Amino acid sequence: MTLAGRTSRAEALAARLPPLLVEAERVAETVRQGVHGRRRVGTGESFWQFRPYTAGDARIDWRQSAKSDRVYVRETEWEAAQTVYLWRDPSESMAWTAESSRPTKRMRAELLSLALAALLLKGGERVALPGSSAVGGRGALERLGRSLLTDSAAMPSHPLPRHSSLVLIGDFLDPLDDLAASLQVQAARGIGGAIVQLLDPAEVSLPWEGRVRFHGLEGEGDELVPRVGAVRDAYQDAFVAQTQALERTARAAGFAIVRHTTDKPPQDALLALHAAMRGERA
Amino acid sequence: MIGFATPWVLAALLSLPLLWWLLRATPPAPRRVDFPALRLLRLIPKREETPVRTPWWLLLLRLAIAALAIVALAGPVLNPTPPAPGNGPLLLVVDDGWASAHTWDAIKQAAGDAIDSASRAGRPVILLTTAPGNDGAAPRVAGPLPAGEARARVDAMAPKPWAVDRATAAKALETARDIGGAVWLSDGLTSDGSDALSEQLAKRSAIVRVPDMRNASRLLRPPPIGDAKLAAHVLRASSDGETPVTVRALAADGRILGRATTKFENGAREAVATFDMPIERRNETARLEVEGENSAGATVLLDEQWRRRPVGIVRGASSEQRLLSDVYYLERALAPFAEVRVGDLGELVQRELAVLVLPDSGALDGNELTTLTRWVEQGGLLLRFAGPKLAQGGDALLPVRLRAGDRALGGSLSWSEPMKLAPFPETSPFAGLSIPGDVAISRQVLAEPAVDLAEKSWARLADGTPLVTAASRGNGRVVLVHTSAGPEWSNLALSGLYVDLLRRIVAVSAGVAASPGTQLLAPRRALDAFARLVEPDAAAVPISASAVALARAEPRHPPGLYGPEEQTRALNLGSNEPAPAPLETVGVTRAGYETTGETRLAGAFFSTALGLLVIDALVALVLGGLLTLRRPRSAVAALALLFAFSAHAQEKPAAELASKTVLAWVRTGDPTVDRTSKAGLSALARTLMQRTAIDEADAVGIDLERDELAFHPILYWPSTAGQKPLSEAARQRVNGFLRGGGLLLIDTRDGAASPSPALRAALQGVDIPPLVQAPPDHVLSKSFYLLNGFPGRYESGPLWVDGSANDKTDGVSSVVLGGADWAAAWAEDEAGRPMFAVSPGGGRQREQASRFGVNLVMYALTGNYKADQVHVPFILQRLGQ
Repeated sequence: MTLAGRTSRAEALAARLPPLLVEAERVAETVRQGVHGRRRVGTGESFWQFRPYTAGDARIDWRQSAKSDRVYVRETEWEAAQTVYLWRDPSESMAWTAESSRPTKRMRAELLSLALAALLLKGGERVALPGSSAVGGRGALERLGRSLLTDSAAMPSHPLPRHSSLVLIGDFLDPLDDLAASLQVQAARGIGGAIVQLLDPAEVSLPWEGRVRFHGLEGEGDELVPRVGAVRDAYQDAFVAQTQALERTARAAGFAIVRHTTDKPPQDALLALHAAMRGERA
Repeated sequence: MIGFATPWVLAALLSLPLLWWLLRATPPAPRRVDFPALRLLRLIPKREETPVRTPWWLLLLRLAIAALAIVALAGPVLNPTPPAPGNGPLLLVVDDGWASAHTWDAIKQAAGDAIDSASRAGRPVILLTTAPGNDGAAPRVAGPLPAGEARARVDAMAPKPWAVDRATAAKALETARDIGGAVWLSDGLTSDGSDALSEQLAKRSAIVRVPDMRNASRLLRPPPIGDAKLAAHVLRASSDGETPVTVRALAADGRILGRATTKFENGAREAVATFDMPIERRNETARLEVEGENSAGATVLLDEQWRRRPVGIVRGASSEQRLLSDVYYLERALAPFAEVRVGDLGELVQRELAVLVLPDSGALDGNELTTLTRWVEQGGLLLRFAGPKLAQGGDALLPVRLRAGDRALGGSLSWSEPMKLAPFPETSPFAGLSIPGDVAISRQVLAEPAVDLAEKSWARLADGTPLVTAASRGNGRVVLVHTSAGPEWSNLALSGLYVDLLRRIVAVSAGVAASPGTQLLAPRRALDAFARLVEPDAAAVPISASAVALARAEPRHPPGLYGPEEQTRALNLGSNEPAPAPLETVGVTRAGYETTGETRLAGAFFSTALGLLVIDALVALVLGGLLTLRRPRSAVAALALLFAFSAHAQEKPAAELASKTVLAWVRTGDPTVDRTSKAGLSALARTLMQRTAIDEADAVGIDLERDELAFHPILYWPSTAGQKPLSEAARQRVNGFLRGGGLLLIDTRDGAASPSPALRAALQGVDIPPLVQAPPDHVLSKSFYLLNGFPGRYESGPLWVDGSANDKTDGVSSVVLGGADWAAAWAEDEAGRPMFAVSPGGGRQREQASRFGVNLVMYALTGNYKADQVHVPFILQRLGQ
C-alpha cells in the first residue's frame, strides 16, 4: 500500500472517530449512572467506612471512637489504578452483518471497546491497546480511539505487565488453540479479564432457507448447502459445542465470558462486561 | 370440437422430451450468501444428498407451460367453422338489403367466420353484395382479395334501406371466373332474380345461409290514409305458428304514444294492429314501428296526409254579436284538435276539408245544395246545426226529415222543463262520454218519425227525441245536431260535452287525401336500414310529389322524409315492396346462421400459461430461499390477490362505497365515452370536496348488469350508439334505484336531448316518468349555486325533468335528461387541465357547467329542500328591517 493510500484510509477511519466517540460516551454514561465508585475497601485516599475494632487492627480512629463506647477503625476505599488492555478481533469476518439494518460485528466491537474505555478512564483506570503504552487522564479516550480504529494487532501472546487486565472482543468461531495459548500465558502471570463473544444473530440461528452457496470471508472458499433448513439443527449443535469450548477455555484461565449479539443494545454488554471486570478484580 | 389455425406449430410439441431432459439436468441456481461461520458448517457431517435435480412437479409445471404456449401459438379454435365448400378463391355473397338489417349481426359474424376459415385454408375471397350501393352502383364482384382486406371490407359493410337486386348480382356472376366455392349469406326472403342467383351459385358448389324464418324481417305497410283509426299491417314471410307482434306509435321527438299488440294467426302472413288513440295523439304520431325490429322495412313514417282533418266553418251573417255567434263557439271548441278555417261556403268547398260545419242556415238554395251534395258524396262530413232558420223548413241535405217549427221546452207558456240528455247508445260514436248533469236543451227541431230514425240517432234527449242524427250519403256523411251551435237554444255549447261531441264527430270523418302535386320534393331526412333518421346521401335526388306514393325505395330515392317542413311527404319502404316470402333455392346446400360462432382459444391458453409461469416464478423464489414460507398466509394472500387481478379488477367493497358520496357512471363499453365519464365524474367529485360540505366524494364506473346501485346518490348515463338493451335484472335494479330515491342523469351528448333509438330501447321498461322541460326556476337552478341555465359542453339545450307531481318523492325528479354532454365539460386530465373544449366556449361556461354538476349532486342529496329554503335568509333579513 502506498503512502497516499495509507493516508486516505487513515483519514476515512478518522472520520468515523468523532461519532464513534460520542456514541461510546453516551453508552458509557448510561451505564455509569448505575455504577458508583469501587464500593470496596482498599488503599485509597477517600473515606469508605468505619468498622468496629477487631484484634490485630493497627489504626484506631480515635475521633470516631471517642463518640461512643466502642472502638472504631477507619477504612478507605480501594482506589488502585490498574491498566486494562483492550483487544478486538481485527479479522475480515468481523466486518460483516447479515442484515444491513444491524451494525457489523466490528463496529459493535469498537463501540464496546471505547465505551468500556470511557467508563474505565472515568474511574481513574488506565487503558491500553496491547503493544502500546497505557494512557490515562484527559484526552486519553480520543487517542485510544484513534489507535483502536487502525489497530490490526493479533491477539496478545506475550505476557502483559503485572496488575493489568485484558478484555478480548471477537466472534471466537475459529479453532480456540491460539486463544487458549494466549490466555495461559496471561494467566500464568496472574492476569485476568473478560472475553466478549460478539456475534451476529444470523450466526446463531442460521435463518436462511433453500439452496444457498455460503461464501467465507477469510478466503475459506464456498460451501453449497442444498437445503439450509435440513442442516440448521446440526449447525446449531456445532455452534453450541464451539461456545461451550470457549467457555471452558476462558474459565480455565480465570476469564469471565460475556456473550453479546448485535441485535441487542450495547448497554447490556457493557453493563455485563463492567460487572465481570469488577468481579475479576475483587 | 377444436381446430387449429396453424396446426404445423403443434410439431413443436415433439421438442418437449428434450425440454424435459434439459430442465432435469439444470437445478435451480443457488443463492450466494456471505457467512463468517463457514467453518462450523463444514463441521457438519455430510449426509447423503439426493442428487440436485428439479423436483418432478416443477418439471411438470414447466412442461405444461411450454405445451400451453405451443398449443396457443397453433391458434386453437373452439367450434371452428367448417371449411367453405370447394377450393380456390371463395365467393362470399352477402345480402345487404333492408331485410338484412334485422339479422345483420349474425350475417356479419358469419361473413367474418367464412373469411377466417378461408384464410386458414389460404384461399383468397371474392365479395359480392347484392344490394345497389349508396351511390346507386349496381352489385358487382370485388376480388379476389386477401383475407385481411376482405375482412376490412366486411367490417365496413352496412345494410341498405332498399331491396336487393339479385338479378344484377346473378348477371355479375355470369362473367366471374376462378371461383372455387361460394357462401351466400342471405336475408331469407325471396326477390326478383333469386332464382337466377341461386342457379349461378349452384354451379359453384355453394352453401346458402338462411335465417330462422321466425326471425326473418317483417314488413310494415303504411296504414290506409283516411281510416278512423290507424291500422298497421304487418307482413311476415313464413305463415307458420302464432306469433304476437307489437307495433308502436312514436311522436317526432321519440316519445311512445301508443302500442298496439296483435298476433299472426297460424297460417296467416298478415296481421293488423289497430291503434286506439285520441285524435290528438293520433295527429302527433310521426312514425310506426314493429317493436324489437330496427329495420327500415318495419318502420313507417307518417306525414301530413295521415293527420290532416281540416274543418271548415261556414260563416253566417256577419252582423251577429260575438258571444251570440254560433261560429264563435264552434271555432273555440274545434281549435284544440283540428285545423279550423272559417269562410263562405263556396270558398270552403274549393279547399280540402274533412268536415264542413254549417251552423243554422235555413234551407239551402239549389246551387248550394248541388255543390254540398257533391262534396259530401265524395267523402266529406257535413255537420249541421239547427236554429231558428232551419226551423222554418228543412232541405234535402239532412239526415232525417224535419217537422216544420221548433219545440220549446221550459218556456214561460209551457209546463215542461228544459230537457236533459239520455245516455248515449252503445252503437253511437259518442258511446262512453259522460254527460254533465247541468246540460239541458231548451229548444230543438224535431224529426218526422221514421222506421230508421232510431238507428240514425247518435244522441237523444231524455224523452227519446233525437238530438244528433246522422246519415251516410255517398262516401260521406251528413250529421245534424237538433239544437243550435251557440247558447241560444241550449247550454250545450257552454259545456265540456260540446267539445267532446265535436271531437268524436271529427274523428269519424275521413282524412283528406291531399291532392298530389307535381312539384319536386328534395330529400330532407333519410331512413337508414336500421330505421334511424339520418342526413340523406348525395345520391338521393328530389322526387315529384305525385310519385312519392308509388315509388319503390332505391338509392336515388331512399325511404325518408321529402320536401319542406310544412309539405313533408314520407316515402316508406313498406308502401311498394312486395310482400315478403321465403327464399327458395335449388341446387345449393342450405344452412342456418346458428351453427357458426367459433371461439378462439389462444387468449385463454396464453393466459393460463402466464398464470402458471407466475406460479413457477413464485416456486423458484421459494426454492431459492428468496421468499420464505414462514408466513404462508402472505403468500396465499399474494396468490389470491393475483387471481383477483386476473379475474377482474373488482369494484370497491360495499363499506367503502357506503361511507362516502360515491357518484356513479354507467360503463357503456365505449372506451372513449367511459374515459370521459370517469374523468368527468372524478373531477366533479373533487369539485364537490373543494366547494361543498361533502368531505369525501368519489366516482366509480358501474356495470348495470352486474353492480349494485344502492350506494350511489346519482347515476350518470351517457348514451352511446352501441347501447345494448338492459337485461330484466338490470332493469329491475335501475327501477329499484329510481324508486329508492336515486337520481338518474341521462346524457344524450348531442346537445339537443333527443334520445337515440338504442337508448330508447335500453330504457324500455325502465320507469321513466313523463318528462317536462325544466322551468327556469326549477330547484336544480338553486340547489347550491344560483344558475340561469344548465350548460355542459353545449351551452344551451333543453333539460327534461319529471313532470308528474309525484307525492312519493316530494316532487323531486328521479330522472334528469339532457344532451349537454356534461361529463366532457367536467373532465380534467391528471394535471387538472380540461380535456375537451366547450362550445361556444369560455371559462365562464365551464364554470357554469361544473356549478350545474354541484347543483345536481346537491339536488340528488337534498331533494327539494332548496326549493323554499334558499331565500329564507333574505326574507328574514327583509322582515328584520
